[in-house]
Amino acid sequence: MKYYDIDLKKTLSKKRMVGLLRLMKGYHWLYIGATVALAIATISRTGIYLIIRQFIDDVVLAGNYGTNLIRVILFFIGLSLLQGAFSFVSGWLASKTAESSTRRLRNYLFDHLQRLPYAYHAESKTGELISRATSDVDAINRFYGEQAIGIGRILLMFIVNFIAILQLNTRLALISVIAVPVIVGVSIFFFSKVSKAYEEYQEQEATLSSRLQENLTGVRVVKAFARQGYESYKFDQENWQKFKLGKKLLSIHSLFWPISDIICGAQMLTAFFVGAMMALNQEITVGTYIAFASLVIWIIWPMRGLGRLIVQTSTGMVSYSRVVEILKQDREPLNEGDYLPDGNVNGEIIFKDVCFSYEEDHPVLHEINFVCNPGDVIALLGSTGSGKTSLVNLLPRFYDADSGSITLDGVELTRYPRKYLRSQIGIVEQEPFLFSRSIKENIKYGVLRDVSDEEVIQAAKFAAIHDVLSAFPDGYETLVGERGVTLSGGQKQRVAIARALLKNPSILILDDSTSSVDTETEAQIRAALNKLMQNRTTFIIAHRIQSVMAANLILVFDKGKIVQKGTHEELMKQSGMYREIFDIQTRIEVELEKEISSVNV
Amino acid sequence: MSTFEEFDEKEYGKLTGNILGRLLSLLKPHWKWVVGFLLCIAAVSIIDSYTTFLSSRLIDEGIRAGNRQAIIRIVMIYASMIVFQASSAFGFIYLVGVLAERVRYDLRKRMFNHLQQLSLSYYSQTPVGWIMSRLTSDTERLSDVMTWGILDITWAIINISTAAVFMFIINASLAWIVLILLPLLIVIAIRFRKTILLFYRRSRKMNSKITGAFNEGITGVRVIKALSREEGNLREFSELTDGMYQASFKAAWLSALFLPTVQIISAATLGIILWRGGMQVQIGVMTVGGIQAFVSYITFIMWPIQDMARVYAQMQNAVASAERIFSLIDTEPAVKNRSQTVQTESIQGDIRFENVHFHYEENDPVIKGIDFLVKHGEMVALVGPTGGGKTTIVNLLCRFYEPTQGTIYFKDVDYHTMKLQDIQSRIGMVLQTPHLFTGSISDNIRYGKLSANDQEIEKAAKLAGAHDFIMQFEKGYQQDVGEGGNLLSVGQKQLISIARAILAEPELFIMDEATSSVDTLTESLIQQGIDRLMKDRTSFVIAHRLSTIKRADKIIVIEDGKIEEMGTHRELIIQQGKYYQLYTQQFRQELEAQYDIFNKQEPVEAG
Repeated sequence: MKYYDIDLKKTLSKKRMVGLLRLMKGYHWLYIGATVALAIATISRTGIYLIIRQFIDDVVLAGNYGTNLIRVILFFIGLSLLQGAFSFVSGWLASKTAESSTRRLRNYLFDHLQRLPYAYHAESKTGELISRATSDVDAINRFYGEQAIGIGRILLMFIVNFIAILQLNTRLALISVIAVPVIVGVSIFFFSKVSKAYEEYQEQEATLSSRLQENLTGVRVVKAFARQGYESYKFDQENWQKFKLGKKLLSIHSLFWPISDIICGAQMLTAFFVGAMMALNQEITVGTYIAFASLVIWIIWPMRGLGRLIVQTSTGMVSYSRVVEILKQDREPLNEGDYLPDGNVNGEIIFKDVCFSYEEDHPVLHEINFVCNPGDVIALLGSTGSGKTSLVNLLPRFYDADSGSITLDGVELTRYPRKYLRSQIGIVEQEPFLFSRSIKENIKYGVLRDVSDEEVIQAAKFAAIHDVLSAFPDGYETLVGERGVTLSGGQKQRVAIARALLKNPSILILDDSTSSVDTETEAQIRAALNKLMQNRTTFIIAHRIQSVMAANLILVFDKGKIVQKGTHEELMKQSGMYREIFDIQTRIEVELEKEISSVNV
Repeated sequence: MSTFEEFDEKEYGKLTGNILGRLLSLLKPHWKWVVGFLLCIAAVSIIDSYTTFLSSRLIDEGIRAGNRQAIIRIVMIYASMIVFQASSAFGFIYLVGVLAERVRYDLRKRMFNHLQQLSLSYYSQTPVGWIMSRLTSDTERLSDVMTWGILDITWAIINISTAAVFMFIINASLAWIVLILLPLLIVIAIRFRKTILLFYRRSRKMNSKITGAFNEGITGVRVIKALSREEGNLREFSELTDGMYQASFKAAWLSALFLPTVQIISAATLGIILWRGGMQVQIGVMTVGGIQAFVSYITFIMWPIQDMARVYAQMQNAVASAERIFSLIDTEPAVKNRSQTVQTESIQGDIRFENVHFHYEENDPVIKGIDFLVKHGEMVALVGPTGGGKTTIVNLLCRFYEPTQGTIYFKDVDYHTMKLQDIQSRIGMVLQTPHLFTGSISDNIRYGKLSANDQEIEKAAKLAGAHDFIMQFEKGYQQDVGEGGNLLSVGQKQLISIARAILAEPELFIMDEATSSVDTLTESLIQQGIDRLMKDRTSFVIAHRLSTIKRADKIIVIEDGKIEEMGTHRELIIQQGKYYQLYTQQFRQELEAQYDIFNKQEPVEAG
């Protein structure tokens, strides 16, 4: 837990504002510090103007130079330093809070996502999850670092300067804020309009991008039909639409700023005028007028920005709700379970009356019964959707059965901690997922101990992929994926076999589909698989007779049920699906013979 | 995590005369707008400084002199200034903002149109993402600096200069003090801005790595769970977030340090000025209003300085963007019309490859001398292992690439002498992974012939065997196919792409047969559609299915860039060579699939 110090799930709140504040738990004092520093900085700046007032009244106009002058200037510089230092401290603390909270949130979200049950991932859209974990977290970061503190800054400026003017003269103070509600109102109205126009503009940007992307990825079609002109025309339409939306956005901006300029300017000038008149009538001193004229600027103009910040905070809130959708999910308890053997499992697996469904009333597995002895090879045969994959998903507890019992070495599967269980099981899929890192790292991926290069090479040799890998310019360091090499399905599969070999599990799950590889590669993969299966309890999801013939037990699946089970010899004696499949294989050879000879005639 | 560094792009460019010239030429068509916004911003900027000056006169001529009329007069002037300034602000925001959009529009349009001319080789060497960023982020950055950047700099320079002028009018000796200080402030500001930008960009980069890590963590979650990699992954991920934290936090606190630094320096200056200025009031050289004006000028001088520094820092990035954009625009199409071209009415007739060689990179030949003749109306099947050169041959035939040696003749005319448009507009193509465009089914079929009416489209769809499934959709031909056609199945996409090719009525038909299996009904529909297309047309098929191969008039076995065997099915079977091997292997696989009582449906790749 050193990557995040608290369980963020416990900070969740239905009230979004409360939730956002609780999300920065542990950094509250920093944030309060930031606010206090901000207040000190603001007060200091106001103090500067009050010093200038003294300077004018007590020094310049009183003709009282000497120690008074020095004192006032020292005060002036001192306050300036104070103001500068504390506004820096405030910014430092606020960004520390924002960045620390978001770092913790990112780490937590990443861990949370990889620890959520597989079922959650199977139902979620990847793009949606990513955007919540990235853009929405950025929005929360901005909420802390810019919006909340920004609103605080404007409000503090208003309060402090208002109080200062109030001290100078009550009437002046009231006159200087007449238009403030109008300014804030106009600003909120405007920025909510702008944010709508901006959204439209952004959407058009996305449309334009996908238009472009479509053109680039479909370049062969474009060229094949010589449609360059048409493509330019279509792109231009979207491009022009974006220009028009941009223009609309700009029109709103170009109205708001001058209008608010005039309102703020009128308010400021009114204050100047009244102040000047009062100074003329000697109701206030000249120094007071000068201080007032400066303070009033700090009250009025920042108010224009308040609308923007207030409108933006709603984005932060929406993002928070979206992140909460992920945070509130329950993690898969990896270490939960009361039975933890010392060494490895033997691999005796018994299914008894196992039923399973993803959704209620749609049973996927129905009363599955079979016994598998340690070291056995169990072959699962059947069409897509007949339940083979669902059955093997139960073994590493990606899902748990609804009813019935699965025991491993005589102990209920649910009593084993998932983490231990998974350490005992290796999976080689048909199109295995490789990570965009080096091939070496991919092979070492599942092994938590340190692995020497020799071991990696040994595993690769066993998996019959060493020759392919050494032929790459960067060898085992070659990157996989978008930014490196693209491996073929067969090559990926062999990397996964090497990965499984290094892991050395007691139980193995294989998806034995070697489609779309040439005969030679198929033979290599088969040999590699055979090595891998030695001394392990193996479940093969099979697509061909050849790979099941040697199995200790063949389970033939149809619509979630086991319709036949036995060895190859036993099943051959029965009539049923298995023998039909076998007959087809023989028939193919006969037909091939016929086909070839027909040509030769 | 993986290293993305090698793909990092140059961040800073040097502004050369050449680039500057080209940049300015972007604005040239819109010079009236430029002049307009420059005038408006100049007005805004001058008024900014002038109103401060007015404030000081309000004190001296009004309050200090006890002149009520003067106060009213100055306030009236001030008010008219505010109105004038507001209307100038309206002008510059509108002008510069719309201009920025316009420059973006122009740049994107120019790049996109140029991209359409570039050859396939450009696309095979350039990642889509790279091109996309030229048209998005680089375009944004460049147009911003060229418009808002120029605006900000103009504002800042005029603002500082006019403020300086007023300060000199008020009190020259004090103004000198400020003037000496200015360069120091500017240098500090620029250094700050550059460093902040550096860390900001570093944080953006970390952010995209974090996105990548999330992507992998989510798509690979099954493997992660199976291999219990959670802790290791979190450790690696936390390195990324640490990096992000370092960069963002530093950028943030440097920003927080920037203004106070500038403020403290100006406060120190102000201290000197108050001291000397205060003394000068005594001897009547300085007025109280003058002091107030100095206070304002110096307090607000941080804004133009900050803007100048920001634009200066962004400028270097923008130049790097400009270099990339220009490099795209300057790329010459690898395949283009010769200076002398012949008029081509038709490409129907015999097609002859003569000693055709091709390579992408020197010393790595892909096609190593190919000769063959195809008679008009023949169907040619290209077979052989992946990577052997079949697709390259087809690309050469379409003149997406040109042979590096040798040539191809259509009706005894060297195709290099023909116009690209003349060749490519007469070719119909069905790709292995059919690519559809966002829009309706009807739009996608119409792509084959833009002028086609609805009857023609329906006719083509019927010939392709697509009509029936189209009519099952709620909106029929107007049904949306989704992005890249992802709302349709692979088989449906193939049928639509066949209809598209039929509508184009090509003289030469090329097909890259799909390897992915579709259900039997669709499969036979596809076959029928293709048969109709191939009738009376010369056609080339990169063939994967035996039924297609066996029907070919000529089978060419391509391996390692050379013709290994060539002939009819019968001839090649008797020969018992490469083709024989391929055939028997394929025969087994097809029958297995065909007889499969599970009705096995393999997951098919979406194209």
